Amino acid sequence: MDTTGTRQTPAGRGPWFWAGLYVAASAAIVALKLTDTITAPVAMILFVGAMGLLIPLVRAGERRNCASPVMVRYNRRFLAACFGYVLGLGIAISLWNAYDLTGPVVFAIALLPTIPTFAMIWAMGRYLVEETDEYLRYRTVRAAIMSLGGVLTIGIFWGFLEMFELVPHVWAWWVLPVWAAGLGFAQLWMKVRGE
Amino acid sequence: MNNRLKVLRAERSWSQQDLADRLGVSRQSVNAIETGRYDPSLPLAFTIAEVFGLPIEAIFSRD
Repeated sequence: MDTTGTRQTPAGRGPWFWAGLYVAASAAIVALKLTDTITAPVAMILFVGAMGLLIPLVRAGERRNCASPVMVRYNRRFLAACFGYVLGLGIAISLWNAYDLTGPVVFAIALLPTIPTFAMIWAMGRYLVEETDEYLRYRTVRAAIMSLGGVLTIGIFWGFLEMFELVPHVWAWWVLPVWAAGLGFAQLWMKVRGE
Repeated sequence: MNNRLKVLRAERSWSQQDLADRLGVSRQSVNAIETGRYDPSLPLAFTIAEVFGLPIEAIFSRD
């Protein structure tokens, strides 16, 4: 700790470095797939590999923010669920495209990407239960409620636009990524406002 | 709600992190309470009072 009372950040690459590398790797994979240089299964395998960059990204973020053990646990759980999701989604889509599946088998492959998203929601819930710092918990709950308001607003508006055939159909699983993005925006909003 | 956290901390030459460590919370929490952006719960207010060895009303007051 220095004289101003702030903790020294340990040396190492910053989170932006790893985030940039991850975005560049993902963009390269998308470009290769769009130009038909690689097949879908190869793209999926490369995506899973690129996700390995999220590990140093999260660790760099934890170092920079002196993350609490609760936050570290949350990051580990969420990251594991993200790996499971990409893997599950990739396998499910590959099976769906390769075989003429019907009935319970389709139900089973739909579960492959679904179960990891349940794990993400569980990880978020556990964070709120385990977080002992009431201010950090308050901030997270506030951001979650703000984001929920955004999801409900967009969802209802889109639903009626879709009913009157003004916009295309959107699959319901989009609620989670939209809510997660809203959570990030809400936290950024609170930070900008100095809350 | 007003509080005297900053003054009490300065009297003891504690940084925000020092106080946060004593309270078992994050530095952001101390900063938010000190600047009036967040009012602590009653259990945390009691802990703050214990750390400073003062009654709650000597630290916190109504606007």
